[in-house]
Amino acid sequence: MKIFNIILIFILYFNVYPSFSSNDFNLVPIKVSNNVFVFVGANEDINNKNGGAISNTGFIIGDDSILVIDAGPSYIYASNVIEIIKSFSDLPIKYLVVTHHHADHSFGISRYLEMDVEIIMAPAELKRYLKYGNRSLKQLRDLIGEEWFLDTKINSFQYKEKKYPVSLNLGNRNILIELYEKGHSDGDLIIKDKISSTLFVGDLVFSGRAPTIPHANINNWKNYIDLISKKNWNYLIPGHGNIIKNKDELLPTKNWITFIDKTAKEASISGISALEIFNEGLPDFIKEYKLAKETWYRDLPILINKYEFD
Amino acid sequence: MYWEKFLIKYILFICVFIYSGVTLSGPFSDFKAGAELSEELSSSPTAKRNTPNSDSLVQSIDALNPKNSSVWRELQDNLLGNDANVLFVDDIKLIMQDYIEEAHKVPLIVTLPKRLYNFKNFILIIENNPIQQAMSIRPYRLIESLGMNIRLEDDSPVRAAVQGDNGIWYVGSKMAFVASVGGCSTPACDPSVEVCETGTIGKIAIKQYEREAGAERIKLKVTHPMETGFVTDLQGEIIPEYFVKNIHVDDNKGAIADITTFAALSSDPVILLDLPKKGQSVRVHVKDSLGLEFFSYDSNTM
Repeated sequence: MKIFNIILIFILYFNVYPSFSSNDFNLVPIKVSNNVFVFVGANEDINNKNGGAISNTGFIIGDDSILVIDAGPSYIYASNVIEIIKSFSDLPIKYLVVTHHHADHSFGISRYLEMDVEIIMAPAELKRYLKYGNRSLKQLRDLIGEEWFLDTKINSFQYKEKKYPVSLNLGNRNILIELYEKGHSDGDLIIKDKISSTLFVGDLVFSGRAPTIPHANINNWKNYIDLISKKNWNYLIPGHGNIIKNKDELLPTKNWITFIDKTAKEASISGISALEIFNEGLPDFIKEYKLAKETWYRDLPILINKYEFD
Repeated sequence: MYWEKFLIKYILFICVFIYSGVTLSGPFSDFKAGAELSEELSSSPTAKRNTPNSDSLVQSIDALNPKNSSVWRELQDNLLGNDANVLFVDDIKLIMQDYIEEAHKVPLIVTLPKRLYNFKNFILIIENNPIQQAMSIRPYRLIESLGMNIRLEDDSPVRAAVQGDNGIWYVGSKMAFVASVGGCSTPACDPSVEVCETGTIGKIAIKQYEREAGAERIKLKVTHPMETGFVTDLQGEIIPEYFVKNIHVDDNKGAIADITTFAALSSDPVILLDLPKKGQSVRVHVKDSLGLEFFSYDSNTM
């Protein structure tokens, strides 16, 4: 009967008292290569169990300093990340690169501002972060609970104008940061670690789930995916989902954005409303994507609206 | 072993129990959509909180029954008339989301059965709103379906009352749940924490689309704040109500529809009309509650 009891306790624990595990991100860094790590976010929507930790956060350790990629969804998340990084190395975190302004990648910034960390972000995205950040933060608090966003603030900060591509040296470790304007967002940053030939591409690539498009220029984005595909890399870290080693894995992102764009353009020409498209059920093509339904319902109206009255 | 069998059954039971609680969003609609969020937040999709479940299905069936509604009787008397002949029907379809995350702007399409294409009057009623009547339409031509964006203060039955040429009111209903209340009483954009962009008040956009067999869809959008009078500003002062009162749609053959609107329509209201016959160069004339008038055409050359 022991097993029975254990299973019973587990079932009760995970289903009846999910609040036990709240505010606990259970972060486990995955080693990509020597001194290159990534925390892979939950492959799901933001909810009150994952606390918004749905995107990937990376860190690269050089001989002198450490670079972190993306701040994550909140102050608490960023604190957890920093703590774990400290257990790997005593070196200072010198840079935080925020790939773009979306909440799940940027809202941990407030934690890094308490340290002596240089924050690197595309100017256009910094503007959006400051302009819309409080609104998104309020919506997130309402949706998944205040407790996840304790001390999370949208602060402006000292910002050094950069000329891209930016080269950094973490101590025998060269990093190259490139700016991809008006693709998935107004300014996505791609971070390359030269030694391990690892590319952190932010949300220009989604792995294992439907990509989101609210600020995208889809034509540029498609071209950028082709460009990324042609580059040399051993490991590619998408904004969401697992580490990519094979170029074919870039195709689902490209296929989805092509499909949703085509659907929205056709709708804006024929006058069909998103509601009517939804009423037909999910198209077969997108059913194989994780989070297909949620993403489809959210993004299609935005895209149709954009094409319709612009 | 006895306990093993018991264990398997127990786990199965638990799984089915949990699954049914999570997934039964119920057959109470034509359409089970997810959410439409503001553009910013949709960049990081969020899970639904309190997704409608089998309990809310029972609730919504109850709530849709006008006999159980504490407000319907009075609404019916006020809006449709004291001695109105009212029939609740299911062939007037309200296509909208079951579960709404952004209650300030909820798209809705109402499709009519053929026998009501020549309706005399149309009233859209949101029972649990502080502003219960969202709009009414008096058409001058046949109309097959209509669309609009509405505000929802709270979970509410939404009802489309359509008066046929026999004088009878036919009412189609749909239950809508909101994630957070306040579609009418909270600002869609809060200037204390964000930068709010407002368009040019009175800007009108008209789109005409051909449908099959000479039929047409008209979509029009009026840029307007549609203040409900229930929202306070940064100083805690009520922002007075200010909304589009009337939208007159016509073409070179004469009037198409006369639409009376209220602040239960969302800001920058969009109206959709499906006509069986194509209109020629559709025009729009808008009046708002401050008496301002806006034209989609040069009003001096009339």
